Amino acid sequence: MIATNVRRLGVYLMLAFAIVSGSITWWQVVEAQNLSTRSDNPEVIAARRSLLRGTIFDAEGQVLATSALIDGLSRRTYTDPAMTHVIGYSSLRFGSTGLERTFEDILVGQTDPNPIRDLVSDVLARQPEPRDLTLTIDRRLQDFAAEQLGSDAGAVVALDPRTGAVLAMVSTPTFDATPISGDPDGAQEPMDALRNNPAEPLLARARQGLYVPGSIMKVFTAAAALDAGVIDPDTTFPDQPREESEGFVVDGFTIREHDLGGIEPDLWPLSEALQVSSNVFFAHVGLELGAEGFLDYARRFGFCDSIRIGSPERGLQVAPSLVSGSLDGDCGPFGGEVDLASASFGQGQVVVTPVQMALLAAAIAGDGVMLEPYVVRDVRAHAQGDVPTDEVLDTFGSGGGTRVVSAEAAAQTRAAMVDAVNGELGRRYAGQGDVTLYGISNERSAGKTGTAELGGEQAPHSWFIGFAPAQADATSRIAVAVLVESGGSGSDGAAPIAGRVMAEWLRLSGGE
Amino acid sequence: MIGSRSRIAWRGAEFRLLLPILLLVPFGFLITNVALSGAPEVGDLTLAVGYVALFAGAHLLLVAFGHRGDQLILPAVGAMGGIGMIMLNRLPQDLAGTSAFGLELGMAGTQLLWFGVGILAMLAIAVGLRDDGILRHYKYSWAAVGIALLAATLVFGYEVNGARLWIDLGPVSVQPGELLKIVLVIFIAGYLAETRTLLTSASVRIGFLSIPPLPYFLPMLALFGVVMLIVVRLNDLGTALLFFGIFLTMLFVATGRRSHVLIGLVLFVAGSFVAYRLFGHVQSRVDIWLDPFADPLGAGFQPVRALYALGRGGIFGEGLGQGLVTLGGNLTIPYVHTDFIFTAVAEELGLLGAFPLLGFAMVLVFRGLRIAALARDDFGALLAVGVTTSLGLQTLIIIGGNTKLIPLTGITLPFVSYGGSSVLASFIMIGLLLAVSHRSGTADRAPGS
Amino acid sequence: MTGEILRVLLLGLQLGFVALLYLVLMRFARSLLRDLRSAEEAQMSSRSGIGRLSVLESPADEPPNGTTIALGPINSIGRNVNNTIFVEDDFVSANHAMLTFRGRSWFVEDQGSTNGTYVNGHRIDRPVALSFGDELSIGRVRMRLDR
Repeated sequence: MIATNVRRLGVYLMLAFAIVSGSITWWQVVEAQNLSTRSDNPEVIAARRSLLRGTIFDAEGQVLATSALIDGLSRRTYTDPAMTHVIGYSSLRFGSTGLERTFEDILVGQTDPNPIRDLVSDVLARQPEPRDLTLTIDRRLQDFAAEQLGSDAGAVVALDPRTGAVLAMVSTPTFDATPISGDPDGAQEPMDALRNNPAEPLLARARQGLYVPGSIMKVFTAAAALDAGVIDPDTTFPDQPREESEGFVVDGFTIREHDLGGIEPDLWPLSEALQVSSNVFFAHVGLELGAEGFLDYARRFGFCDSIRIGSPERGLQVAPSLVSGSLDGDCGPFGGEVDLASASFGQGQVVVTPVQMALLAAAIAGDGVMLEPYVVRDVRAHAQGDVPTDEVLDTFGSGGGTRVVSAEAAAQTRAAMVDAVNGELGRRYAGQGDVTLYGISNERSAGKTGTAELGGEQAPHSWFIGFAPAQADATSRIAVAVLVESGGSGSDGAAPIAGRVMAEWLRLSGGE
Repeated sequence: MIGSRSRIAWRGAEFRLLLPILLLVPFGFLITNVALSGAPEVGDLTLAVGYVALFAGAHLLLVAFGHRGDQLILPAVGAMGGIGMIMLNRLPQDLAGTSAFGLELGMAGTQLLWFGVGILAMLAIAVGLRDDGILRHYKYSWAAVGIALLAATLVFGYEVNGARLWIDLGPVSVQPGELLKIVLVIFIAGYLAETRTLLTSASVRIGFLSIPPLPYFLPMLALFGVVMLIVVRLNDLGTALLFFGIFLTMLFVATGRRSHVLIGLVLFVAGSFVAYRLFGHVQSRVDIWLDPFADPLGAGFQPVRALYALGRGGIFGEGLGQGLVTLGGNLTIPYVHTDFIFTAVAEELGLLGAFPLLGFAMVLVFRGLRIAALARDDFGALLAVGVTTSLGLQTLIIIGGNTKLIPLTGITLPFVSYGGSSVLASFIMIGLLLAVSHRSGTADRAPGS
Repeated sequence: MTGEILRVLLLGLQLGFVALLYLVLMRFARSLLRDLRSAEEAQMSSRSGIGRLSVLESPADEPPNGTTIALGPINSIGRNVNNTIFVEDDFVSANHAMLTFRGRSWFVEDQGSTNGTYVNGHRIDRPVALSFGDELSIGRVRMRLDR
């Protein structure tokens, strides 16, 4: 009898040993990679003290970040503060952020992009060799955009609608990351200063800032309604002219038009409604589309979820943009018809990131296909000097595109956006976004301004989204979203910046 | 007496298994020497040779005494201890050491010394204890010895790392808890062997649960109280968990009643919950276990560092002598030579090397159970079960703690962790196993059968 | 470059070490399997019995000292030669005790002997369950129940 019980005990102990083996395997195999790259890993920080990191170049081969060993410590030097919110920092004291974090293992060479070589290095316990990154961002455009924002807080995001490549991504105010990345003992003081600065220079506004979009949201509402077939470019709403002055009553709430600046209300179809930015018209459109349709299209465009610039494993995280009340980072249901109507013209519960709105513009410019954005173009062998090597180890591109609206709906929205910049009525609002004003004679731009009313005494946030070239049959080469915090109306603050940035890029990329 | 008829017994299986193991130890020393010095030189192999000599000697003595006990146990111990010696020799030698009796020994040297003492104790028990009367008939005396040890710890003990476990005896410090473990096993085995049939036959049934008859059970409950006393007074969670595990396992094997074990588990969970609510150190242990990354530089320091070390090891390991043991002059894991020796092995040998270590422990455990199943009498069987469970549970609890499977407790990995009391106690338990298996081994050859 | 050579050397040594570890493990496995087989065989042949008595002390050497007696399910013990287990001792009654295997346990019952039956030194007055390893004293003869 004891022998029987002993045998049973043996089975239980065998089970326990199996569980413990599983636990060891979990940490040594499954979690090993995660553990070794955790940037709060003291060993990682310590090992990094003497590990060189790869150089980061811009699209034209200009140096953005380099490493050097000074007194046995690996010091990072950043050449361009305008790039800080993209590249992040690599600090011996505070860990790393931005691309320095997402590409940590590649930059220090702990992971080879080639899996076979990676395994061989692992087995041989080779000393890691740093790798260099080349970005899709052109430093000239980045610096130009940063200059345009000047001392204002805001963001400029510029995408290539044909590839999904990020051409510029500026957040202001920014800071020089070099002091934080240098001597670990000397890093505390500048970091404290940054943390205590009320202007919040540590916030990467382009990706992490959430703002009420105002009228730029109408581009989304129009594209969605056209694609769903609830409107066409000639649809009008008979009560709209009257409601422009008397107000549009939804669910007992009265939606009032913004100050039309003397323009006489009329029975406006889509183009005119977008030119004068009629809230009443788009409230009608949104209600026609319905809450479900609105949310459905919002999700297609990337709202309601966090998105990444780059691959899911190796991407810069972008805060989720929301069109209705938040529900664990997802869009909750609309509170009622009035919430839906307000969302349709960019007020109400809508909060968005500049990156999300740039993606919206790029999708319209790209015939209704939204490409996943990326900012790192390739990984190369480490360059000794300031010139990138030719040995490309891995290349990246857009993770793929999704058709968000039909080419027809995109073309119709695009035409309305061209009118919004160039049309008789629109020119007074969005005309400042036209590239012809900034030395480009043969191209036109499309766009939409936004003035995000915040209520109270606060000056509104100024928005512009658009793309160029935008005339019929042209292929757009740049799509932008510009946000100026408390920048006043869209036409004053954001539109001229967007126009200049687009014109600058058309000039810089003129050869194409 | 049967023992008087002893003649030489060639222990062939033991010899064949010991041979590669004894090769392994100098080999491991050589690798660490090369890795640490950075030069392709053999280096100092004195301790490795000493280790080989100890086990060779033990083998020869067992042969000479005609011991017919199990032949796989000593090699399994040799393999575990060998891996341990290689690691301890590789760690900074000033972590521990002795400077007594005119000897100046580093950590590995001290450990080897204790291996010598332990092997002598093992041989004395394996060869000398051919009649177990002294153990089974005086079980209450043993219980008294145990209580005395416990009381001594309470009165004279001093604290290390929050737990009061040590008694200072001049040149050496001992952990009475380690020896108490053996006394406890002997007592329970004796008690259960005597009352086993009563405990199984006279259960009271309430629904589907069968409650053990209380009068026979009271000494056991008293024991439970003692165990809980240890938790409270000595801050020693690991030992409490171990004692309770041993107790429940032996009870299960003796009675075959899962419900007894179930009741015990419920009591333990209830007790743990009360302890969690009442005592800060229990609470903090559990909180650290649930989320060590919450405070990676404070309370979660060691567990987090240990997990990082496991991650560094990966599948193939960093290589013997090439692990990140120190960082800027400080140990990455302060208790690497005791509580976290397994992590050190897994870091340098990787998953590939951690599995064999676990394999050797399993060999030990399943041979122990086999000895129990073949034992001629109930006392021997239960003794073997208790000893085996103790060694097996220690392994499971400490490796489970190292890998965040269960809360970390300060228990040693038998034969691998540094620690004289632990090594001595483990060897005494091996001696008991050998003694039990010798008796069943001779039974088949007894005259008249 | 010497560093590189040293690393390759160490890698080779390490692989050898791990290989040796697994070699040892394999040998253990082989020994375990061999033992399992022989244990099965042993169980088939000799361990089919339900128990036996080892004679620890027998002043008249009947049963002989140091021998073991294989037991059947029912065994009578006494000075009468018709008993299953014949005991030659002046302090033993003719029909002294009965040793029976019932279900899973051994029981011993005194048959009204003059000097009584002792289990582990205690005199019994009713049938008592025995464990393996228990000592049975009948007169001056001491025997132990083994499996």
